[in-house]
Amino acid sequence: MKINEKIINKIEGEAKLKIYGGKKVDFVEIEFYNFRGIENYLVGRHYMDALVINPRVCGICGHSHLLATARAIENAFGIKPTKKAEILREITTGLEIIQNHIKWFYITFLPEKINDKSKMLKAVNIASYVSKIIALIAGQFPHNSYIVPGGVTCDLTNLEVLKVENMLKTLKKQITDEIVDDEGHSEDVEKFFEFFDKNAGKGLNRFLVLGENLYFKSNGDVENVCEIDRNVFYEGEFFEVGPLARNLNNNQIKKVYSEYKDSIYTRVFARVYETQLILNYLLKIIKDIEICEKNYVKYNPKNSKGISVTEAPRGSLIHRVEIKNEKIKKYDIIVPTQFNLSSYTKEKPSAAQAAMIGEKVGDIQTIFKCFDICAVCANH
Amino acid sequence: MRSKPKIIWIDAVGCNGCSHSFLNHPDISSFFENFKLLYHPILPTENFKIQKCDILIIEGALNKGKRLGYDIEKLIEELILHSKIIIALGTCAVYGGIFGEGVVFKHEKKKRDLNIINIPGCPIHPEWLMYVLNMIKNNKKIILDDYNRPIEIFTFTSHSGCSRNEYFEWKIDAEEFGTKEGCLFYYQGCQGPYTHSSCNRILWNEVNSKPRAGTPCFGCTEPNFPKQDLFKTETFMGIPANIPLGVGKRAYLTLSGIAKSLTNERLSKKLIEDCNEDK
Repeated sequence: MKINEKIINKIEGEAKLKIYGGKKVDFVEIEFYNFRGIENYLVGRHYMDALVINPRVCGICGHSHLLATARAIENAFGIKPTKKAEILREITTGLEIIQNHIKWFYITFLPEKINDKSKMLKAVNIASYVSKIIALIAGQFPHNSYIVPGGVTCDLTNLEVLKVENMLKTLKKQITDEIVDDEGHSEDVEKFFEFFDKNAGKGLNRFLVLGENLYFKSNGDVENVCEIDRNVFYEGEFFEVGPLARNLNNNQIKKVYSEYKDSIYTRVFARVYETQLILNYLLKIIKDIEICEKNYVKYNPKNSKGISVTEAPRGSLIHRVEIKNEKIKKYDIIVPTQFNLSSYTKEKPSAAQAAMIGEKVGDIQTIFKCFDICAVCANH
Repeated sequence: MRSKPKIIWIDAVGCNGCSHSFLNHPDISSFFENFKLLYHPILPTENFKIQKCDILIIEGALNKGKRLGYDIEKLIEELILHSKIIIALGTCAVYGGIFGEGVVFKHEKKKRDLNIINIPGCPIHPEWLMYVLNMIKNNKKIILDDYNRPIEIFTFTSHSGCSRNEYFEWKIDAEEFGTKEGCLFYYQGCQGPYTHSSCNRILWNEVNSKPRAGTPCFGCTEPNFPKQDLFKTETFMGIPANIPLGVGKRAYLTLSGIAKSLTNERLSKKLIEDCNEDK
């Protein structure tokens, strides 16, 4: 059988596909390399240092790693932050997802078929505006550490809260006019699929949501997750995580799903449309900020273990920490890319493997990229 | 330099954060107008090939690994030979940071004389790179310090322009996180007074900085980033063991003693009393 190796770049990092088959893909293996060993780097350090080091797992979704870190430590120590701190965290991590999706679609995905610099610039400018809103609360973006166990480090006045709210409204208008509207219609997405089969890239049709931040509801239990050699199973099976998985109860996405199942089109639709859904949620919760509530609650560290699950841009993100004498004894991270892009057998493929098997060899780079691959995360 | 300098932007081992940070530049379109991007790890370009370029931007640390089918370290050595000017972008590329070794530090061992400009930072500020690129394009001389960093950026400390400076003057610490009041230098580990950067002069995303948002400066532009205990100030005789740049220990002790013995009433209480702890 013909075997081809293909390096995929222009994603977050780099991956290699080993493709079996001539015209049609019989089987495909996925390889990530440049392992960075961030978990070992944390061992022996003060637990607070993880709030600075973990965001550096990833330049585009590092803020989710920050939230995941703080929540894992809070779980270990039994800390409950105030509602105000929780709302601020939701706003900044929700916005991180939005900028991720915009950049993914216009910089990574669209150029697979349409090379249009003005569209890329449009996306970069909107994403930059999103980053600015995050920075107003968090200090900067990327790579802030304003989420800490016990709350947040900032202390906003009404002036900033109102400004953030107004910027969210402006962002809503920009996204609606230029990317995707309230019903999910996107000219640019439809344009792309003039050049690509909407029915291609069907995966496992099994979905998993483990995090409960923003408006997402979990349909599983993190205790059933098992990691073997970087492959990640749930109850012994592979599942798809991410925007499609966690928005299947949305009417527009349901409609697309019922017609195209878990195809490349549904996946792209869900990812792009999620920007609207998250933004609507943020515009709702910002009204609940009580400015006089505390930003930070004090706590006592103890020797303990903690876990957190967060819905990050690409799906469920798991952080586990073990702390002894305020130092990190053990740290473990499972990223969404590991769920979706595990590399296993033909008989038991991961979601991305299943999506590529049986498709034209020439199409598989595009199908691969529809999962929004974060190779840098996978190589943490 | 030629009308449209050619750039190869290569990623070694890192997180792509400097690329994403640069994309936040408010005038990013001018970058695409003024420079020809031969390769970039994320942005659309022609396929990668080793070729001559005017500016080589290296993002990420040197470490074992593969990039574009090449051994990373060999690939970068090869690209360096094809480039007129090299920019080591971000703390990883300059000093090694979390993920490996920095370009200069690696090459110093080999006694290479490189035409290199170091822009540390984790990540870099978009204005820093845009400034360096435009200086090169306009044939202006960039004055560098001993670490090959542009002086016009790195002669400042991140303390300069900090909105908490009043509290620094009066030696009033932030008692806990999440307050507008107080300086983070005394307990929370802020490294602003001895970190070379302009984070509080040229604000992040044009609006803010970490210390303004109540987060200490972690010294991410410095060779020892990330040091241990990033949220704790190491103290000596009750004052920070690492003192502001340019001050003698004794002078700083004296000044601190005097400032602490005097009271600034306005700064000794909450700025907005209505929001008290009961609420």
